Amino acid sequence: MSAGSGPRPLAEAASVSKRYGSFAAVDEVSMQVRPGEIVGLLGANGAGKTTLIKLLLGLAVPTSGTATLFGQAPDRATRRRLGYVPQGLGLWEALTVAQNLHFANAAFGAADSHLTPALEAVRDRPVSAIGLGLQRQLAFTIALAHTPELLVLDEPTSGVDPLSRARLWDAVHAEADRGAGILVTTHYMQEAQQCDRLVLMSRGRAVAEGTEKDIIGTTTACEVDTDQWSTAFDALDRAELPVTLAGRQVRLADTPPETVRTALTAAGISAQVHEVPATLEEKMTVIDRATAHS
Amino acid sequence: MWAMILKEFLELRRDRRTMAMIIALPLLLLVIFGYAANFRVDDLKTRVVGPQAAQVAQQLEPPFDVTSVRPAEGRADGEKALRSEKAAVVVVTSARPGPPTALIDGSQLFSAQSASAAAAASNGALRPQVLFNPHLKTSWVMVPGLVGMIMAFIGTIVTAIGLVRERQAGTLEQLAVMPFRPSDVIAGKIAPYFVLAAVDMVLVTVIGCLLFGVPFSGNVAVFALGAALFLFVVLGLGVLISTLSQNQGQAMQMALMTVMPQILLSGMIFPLTAMAAGVRWIGYVLPLTYFNMISNGVMLRNAPISSLALPLGVLAFMAVLVFSGAVLRFRRDLAPSAPRAVPAKAPALAGEAR
Repeated sequence: MSAGSGPRPLAEAASVSKRYGSFAAVDEVSMQVRPGEIVGLLGANGAGKTTLIKLLLGLAVPTSGTATLFGQAPDRATRRRLGYVPQGLGLWEALTVAQNLHFANAAFGAADSHLTPALEAVRDRPVSAIGLGLQRQLAFTIALAHTPELLVLDEPTSGVDPLSRARLWDAVHAEADRGAGILVTTHYMQEAQQCDRLVLMSRGRAVAEGTEKDIIGTTTACEVDTDQWSTAFDALDRAELPVTLAGRQVRLADTPPETVRTALTAAGISAQVHEVPATLEEKMTVIDRATAHS
Repeated sequence: MWAMILKEFLELRRDRRTMAMIIALPLLLLVIFGYAANFRVDDLKTRVVGPQAAQVAQQLEPPFDVTSVRPAEGRADGEKALRSEKAAVVVVTSARPGPPTALIDGSQLFSAQSASAAAAASNGALRPQVLFNPHLKTSWVMVPGLVGMIMAFIGTIVTAIGLVRERQAGTLEQLAVMPFRPSDVIAGKIAPYFVLAAVDMVLVTVIGCLLFGVPFSGNVAVFALGAALFLFVVLGLGVLISTLSQNQGQAMQMALMTVMPQILLSGMIFPLTAMAAGVRWIGYVLPLTYFNMISNGVMLRNAPISSLALPLGVLAFMAVLVFSGAVLRFRRDLAPSAPRAVPAKAPALAGEAR
């Protein structure tokens, strides 16, 4: 979805920057979240994802550019239409599960909402006494209780087991189907497939945008087939090539096959080298390297 | 072991506030105890009334410092002057033969002790009579002061720690994205501490009065007004400290640095009049000093509101100043200024992978 097309953005950053002295936490980033779409904000730790979210929510003031919610500067009215799950979950640990929900409902003027069966079983226990998985469920339930038009989730699956992660993504998709816009940050590249559109961040900059396929584009990687995978890895590493291991599979992103073959031959290693499409993670590494050199 | 020692020094070097406290606190205590820790009052503000006032005033020697001679006034006027803290001692003379009566304000414990001792040493030239605290009980003077000290503790330390805990837990950020007005959050956060401190204040006052027989001779409403103003000041200090602290340890340090001088320099322990002038002025910028004047005046002397206008006014001024500053800073944390449209270069993102 290109800027300017489709329904009005629920959240929009226009060339927004946030600088702390000479350090740019967010550097000239432009992005939008529209109704019904799941936008994934991807990047390594420290890439600027959380700062960008804070700018969009009005929790930080941009050094330059604008960040808007529902077409205006974030204020009390726009926040009423928003559901937010921060990285730290934002739950009051001394309050019980039910008291946390009741407080949030009162704050948003929402009707009493129901807890999931798992949360219902611990409704009178303090949040500090329930597990992280249930805490995440509760934070998510609270964020959804007032049927927000925009849902902002900062690292929602961090520390969550695979089953709970799958359930959470089901819930996110259900919200998007209802028409809510979702902005979700993650550093798990595998979760990119869950998003309609991705914004890749590196060193404060939005370095790529689109679907996973768009972002990977024509970037390839070399797969090295050999029984001597460990020796091959060491040899390629010594040759200062960007080698990675996926299990026992030796891979090199954005490296010509001839370069790999030459390095292996020089080390006396017999191997088959295939050129395959790069993964999103590899593309991210390539972009990150390019950003670091620029 | 050396590695451990080095690591500790490196950590301490980075913790500037702790380092400042390690250096500043001993210096502060040295100055305070050197110049302020003095229980002996050498100057007693004295008024002489009655027909023989002029003659008696000339005969009075230190520590009596005659500041006013009023032959036309009598004992009732003298008591009124003591009640309004216009004098520490009023010498009442009469036309009849016999020594004049020295009315001594017992609510100023150390002044009263000095005055009693001086009167006793006058070989019958003065007949001392202690008012408001006839047996010069320390508890009678300490309880009104303790009320303020407890409010300062709750208002400043507990409030600051409570607010910083919210920030550390990340829930302050959650409150900021909820549809609350900043004033809702601030009022909601402060109200429970205000109520708790007020309940504590009532408890300490009532139990202090029952347990130690301290009189509550004045107007409850005046006392409540003073307490409310003082609470706003100390709560404001708590909020202000919370906005300046990154964690609960820092908040605790800073809060202690504001409460400690109040305990030592407000006149609650060491009389302000006995302090060196260089230290005394610190006492006069501390809110507890003014609350002590009010609580002491109302509880022990039945001081009228007109005589407490100065401490009430100063506390009101401090409340407005500190609380406004605190609210503005807290508000800035909760809701930063609205993003401004700043001209920027062309968007960095063109919609394609680069």
